[in-house]
Amino acid sequence: MSLALIAALPFLGALLPGLLIRAGRNACATVTGAVTALALLGILLHAPAVMRGEVITAQIEWLPALGLNANFFLDGLGMLFAGLILGIGLLIILYARFYLSTKDPMGQFYTYLLLFQGAMVGIVLSDNILLLLVFWELTSLSSFLLIGYWKHLPEGRQGARMALTVTGAGGLAMIGGMLILGNIVGSYDLTVILQNKDLIQASDWYFPALILILLGAFTKSAQFPFHFWLPHAMAAPTPVSAYLHSATMVKAGLFLMARMWPVLAGTPEWFYIVATTGLITMVMAAKIALFKDDLKALLAFSTVSHLGLITMLLGFGTAEAATVAVFHIINHATFKAALFMSAGIVDHETHTRDIKRLGGLRHLMPITFTIVCVAALSMAGIPPLNGFLSKELMLEETVHTVWLGNHWVMPVLATIGAMFSVAYSFRLIAHTFLGPVRDDYPSKPHDPGFGMWAAPALLAAMVIAIGVMPMTTVGELVRTTASAVIGGEAEVYISHWHGFVPALWMSIIAVGAGLVLLGAHKPLEAMWLSTPRPEAKAIFDAIMEPFANAARAVTDRLHDGALARYLAVATLTILAAGYFAYETGTHTPGTRALTPIEPVPAIGWLLLMGATGSLFTYHRNRLLALVLVGVIGLMVSVGFVYLSAPDLALTQISVEVATVMLLLLALNFLPKDSPVESTAGRRGRDGFIAAAAGLGIGALIYALMTRDFAFPTIAEYHLANSKPGGGGTNVVNVILVDFRGYDTFGEITVLGIAGLVIYALVEALLRGGPANDRLLAWVPDQKRAGDRHPLMLVVATRMILPIALMVGVYIFLRGHNEPGGGFIAGLVVAIATIMQYMASGFGWAAARQRIDYHALIGWGVTIAGLCGVGSWFAARPFMTTNYGYFKLPFLEKFELATAAIFDLGVFLTVVGAVMLALASISRIAIRAGETVNVEPFDIQPDEEAATEGAR
Amino acid sequence: MNPTDFSTVLPEITLALVTMAALLGVVYTGKDALASALNWAMAGLFLVLAFWIGVGGGGERTAFDGMFTDDPFARFAKVTILLSAAAVLVISHDFMTRRNMLRFEYPILVALSVLGMMFMVSAGDLIALYMGLELQSLALYVVASFRRDSVKSSEAGLKYFVLGSLSSGILLYGASLTYGYAGTTDFDGILATLGQGDVPVGLLFGLVMMITGLAFKVSAVPFHMWTPDVYEGSPTPVTAFFATAPKVAAMALLARLMYDAFGAIPGQWGQVIAVLSVASMFVGAIAAIGQRDIKRLMAYSSISHMGFALIGLASGTVGGVQAMLIYMAIYVTMNIGTFAFILSMERDGHAVTTIDSLNMLSKKAPLPALAMLVLLFSLAGVPPMVGFFGKFYVLQAAVSGQMAWLAIAGAVASVIGAFYYLRIVFYMYFGKEGEGIDGRMGAVQWAALMGSALIMVLGVINLFGVESIALTAAETLVR
Repeated sequence: MSLALIAALPFLGALLPGLLIRAGRNACATVTGAVTALALLGILLHAPAVMRGEVITAQIEWLPALGLNANFFLDGLGMLFAGLILGIGLLIILYARFYLSTKDPMGQFYTYLLLFQGAMVGIVLSDNILLLLVFWELTSLSSFLLIGYWKHLPEGRQGARMALTVTGAGGLAMIGGMLILGNIVGSYDLTVILQNKDLIQASDWYFPALILILLGAFTKSAQFPFHFWLPHAMAAPTPVSAYLHSATMVKAGLFLMARMWPVLAGTPEWFYIVATTGLITMVMAAKIALFKDDLKALLAFSTVSHLGLITMLLGFGTAEAATVAVFHIINHATFKAALFMSAGIVDHETHTRDIKRLGGLRHLMPITFTIVCVAALSMAGIPPLNGFLSKELMLEETVHTVWLGNHWVMPVLATIGAMFSVAYSFRLIAHTFLGPVRDDYPSKPHDPGFGMWAAPALLAAMVIAIGVMPMTTVGELVRTTASAVIGGEAEVYISHWHGFVPALWMSIIAVGAGLVLLGAHKPLEAMWLSTPRPEAKAIFDAIMEPFANAARAVTDRLHDGALARYLAVATLTILAAGYFAYETGTHTPGTRALTPIEPVPAIGWLLLMGATGSLFTYHRNRLLALVLVGVIGLMVSVGFVYLSAPDLALTQISVEVATVMLLLLALNFLPKDSPVESTAGRRGRDGFIAAAAGLGIGALIYALMTRDFAFPTIAEYHLANSKPGGGGTNVVNVILVDFRGYDTFGEITVLGIAGLVIYALVEALLRGGPANDRLLAWVPDQKRAGDRHPLMLVVATRMILPIALMVGVYIFLRGHNEPGGGFIAGLVVAIATIMQYMASGFGWAAARQRIDYHALIGWGVTIAGLCGVGSWFAARPFMTTNYGYFKLPFLEKFELATAAIFDLGVFLTVVGAVMLALASISRIAIRAGETVNVEPFDIQPDEEAATEGAR
Repeated sequence: MNPTDFSTVLPEITLALVTMAALLGVVYTGKDALASALNWAMAGLFLVLAFWIGVGGGGERTAFDGMFTDDPFARFAKVTILLSAAAVLVISHDFMTRRNMLRFEYPILVALSVLGMMFMVSAGDLIALYMGLELQSLALYVVASFRRDSVKSSEAGLKYFVLGSLSSGILLYGASLTYGYAGTTDFDGILATLGQGDVPVGLLFGLVMMITGLAFKVSAVPFHMWTPDVYEGSPTPVTAFFATAPKVAAMALLARLMYDAFGAIPGQWGQVIAVLSVASMFVGAIAAIGQRDIKRLMAYSSISHMGFALIGLASGTVGGVQAMLIYMAIYVTMNIGTFAFILSMERDGHAVTTIDSLNMLSKKAPLPALAMLVLLFSLAGVPPMVGFFGKFYVLQAAVSGQMAWLAIAGAVASVIGAFYYLRIVFYMYFGKEGEGIDGRMGAVQWAALMGSALIMVLGVINLFGVESIALTAAETLVR
């Protein structure tokens, strides 16, 4: 049977239990067992070849670009584990059939169990470390489902979370390790990697890879300091804990260490990390196990302890130790699974797992008692059972091991571990089964049916068989497996009697001292309870809680929703990046000479700075701020004049006037002062950041201006082409209407839309609703002056209007060749009109308004657009201008350019947009109860005349 | 400007015309009464365009004097963008109609931003880049504050706008510096300038500033600050949109700018992007731990995911770009499914977004809970879900691009990130009993959730062939 098929069998079979549950529980269990048995058969068929030392392979291309292939191989190690997984799986399936009650969804259980089984088989058969990773995490996932399916969850929910968090995180860390390993070797195939020991161990990345891979292995196999999750995961139903948490999943970490042993082991790093971790885990967990009253907790810690033992053996890095590790893996699987199932039987029958509430069961449950006796004695290392054999060999290995120059550390600690192991094993027998029969069991216990004790009994029989005839039963298997682990020929010699070697004495001491410990269990327990015990769950929470809190605190501080903070962070980062670039980059001083500073611009600059500084200080007084903004705008306009840009100056000053006026009107409805919302420290910080950013930008601009550009400036092109190409000598205007006509077209569109949007907003506001109500109830915070329109202003503006309009036309017409143009003209006309509104009141002005401002905007944009389209008819690209010279009677020859039509569009749009904004604001004022401005103006000459006449 | 130019941008022109026609048509006819139909029609149009672009022209073409590039890379990004935008429109329909939120502007604004994105990923010139970027951003600013009557939504829109303008400003400043020192805004021209001798410092400044501006758009740390607030404040369908298509577009644009314009100096920008990437992965992973709101959590999750995608870009190889594209495609698929579920979360008819409300979901809704489990495992990058392949591709690209430290950082960050994804799984399966979510899942949302989860599982077979398409796309970009 192909290996790929064997690996796939459980996954394919996972569909069956769900379907067959309708046919009854027996059918469901049978089909699950059949699938498992079939897979086991597949493995066994390959067994003779593997025993001969052959390696069976199967390869399927998956994602070759990623290095991920569905490659499988079967050697001794894989065969041992696959056999364990499938063999014990079969027993568990049998056991679970009788363990699960009728209320439990059995179909789901078997489906998840098969998924898990498939993942485990996948791990041990993978010949590709990425494939192995995939299966590795699949075990996490399916184990999660297996535990989660158990609906009547006991107290241990937290356990599931810890298990998931710890093993999931470890698996992800392992991805990093595998990635590095694959990169060192250049292949992700295990068979290739296993042959590159020297390459891997010589690499600089050996250590990081080792750490990351061991993180995965240690978390999965519950090694210190990640041991805490396993006992808490015991909340799961017993078949699950027996299968996952003792026989298979937790051994995945051991498998990985054994698999990687040929390339990773043998270095000091490996020895000190792996062996020390294993030793600590073994001793510590054994000690804790002694004081656990929950049967399953006791077994769980015992499992951790034995996993530590095997880890330690693998950590020694010698072929002999690895052989012993393999042997102990087999032994532990047999006796621990038997014990777990027996504990489940006790729980099932008595409805409690608390040792304190048990005792005297030997008469009530003789079969279970026998099974537990055999398995527990083996666990304690009592001859001639199999546990004794591997423990002796383990002790023997520790004697030869030097730890940091010490010869005694390893043996002594190992003996102590063995001592605890003896103590808790005997306690398991003594406190549960021996002693007087009690009358207060939660349920009347008796031995279960054959189906339930068959599986543990079979395992107990194996314990004895291996114990009595180790070489006959498993000698060959251990040899084949160990050879696969060490990547050479392993020597296997297992015997009960080695002579009076140190190991024997250590063993005797351990058993003796263990019995003493058990005898003194009561006082010791009192001591244990009175001393502070590190509780895994509490520690996990204690570690996670501050991390989570710290994360939350940092996040809350950083992301507190304050926009200012976000801006500050972004600005500081950019500043830091700029400074970093400045510090690390190479730069030469600028080549351009600086021009001297003349007194006039210096004064202008001082005024500009003064106004800016004052704005910073007085910005809370909004009126003052507006005035200062006006001053700044004025200085900028003056700057343009000084730099010979009259167009820009004209535009700037018109824009300034228009915007300041509109802002002034808007300010009417706003509070006169901005409230203080920040502390002085905050302002100081923000001021500092702003100053730093400003200076940084300034420095950058300075640096740019003192250097020559890489190519001639664009200004020269424009100067050269303005007249011949655009027909105008005013370069700025030609740029606006010709070179960058598209831009201008876009801008006037935006301007028009802005005007319309203001109108729409006001329209929506005045249509009713909460905002309208607020407006109606609005009380100005200052008393109105109540003055009507001053006569002087009224008269002056009316006289100015035609002149101003004339100026507008003049500026418009001269625009193409002299400073001016449609934009400025539009602003001038708009300002002249605004003055009418201001002087004579909105009502008076509106009554005399003949043209709809919406139409102005619409026509403006349309004219500009049509002007652009017009060039298509001359077979030129969009917005190409043309011009010609014309002669009319009584006038000089003059130039007409299509650009002037475009400029007209600009002009109309500007007038329309500005006036529409003004009109909109005025409407708000009237709605808000403004009365003064509604009436035409202060003094009505005709009325005055009438009264005069009457008098 | 000639007829071929127009035929090259025909999909974009179609979308633009349809959108404008739809806007005018709907305003003068049924307005919001037509919103529902428009929503479906727009989603349909996206699908048609995706199909058109996907199976249409091969090869590389440019239009408008190199302003616009149509190559496999752009097409890959466009198809991803269009499909994810269509999916978002479809899954948001039920949510919006139930809350009486569906306005005709919604599909139109989405379409406009998609149009912007399509131009972004095809940009061959700084001007075109900016035009696409702003078209996208302006539409997004508005949709973020789509619920005008909600203070949170308005605030989200405002924040996004202010910070977005800042970033656009920085980007523009960088672009003008680049123009000043390269003498051209054309990507090819900039690349040609870089070929000769030393790189002027001004050009480097320009490069860094443009990366900064784009880092804001992909919400890379430390320019990510807007993300959680905007994700939380915006209506959930908008959040779903934010988390998908714009991210792809911004990432693709960043890749295009780096390779097409600055491909001659990968060492210079590789470091900057690597720093952004590490910061994003870690900040995203750590900050998500303390979150109680699933939308905020998804914001940090997306920050972290962008960090991973940036690894691919930072490694500066064909494999890296390929990894980035694959990562983004997978990321988008996962997010569609997750948001389909988030959109369906409600209690007593009100939308809820607290993580606590997911407690014991597995009891109430076993199938959606299982789908979410798959998606969350996939988001965490746990094998064998497809999410793992995305992560693995980028990590592998980093290792082969001589940036093993980046790969290690990525592995560590994914471990931290696993914590909060798995926490949600834990709540769903082992949480305490409490007030959970109730109500039914819309059929479309259900289908999107299940489909996405199914892809995460079935995709492991061959990633639906995305890798070879991504490779072709990457090869055209990295020369």
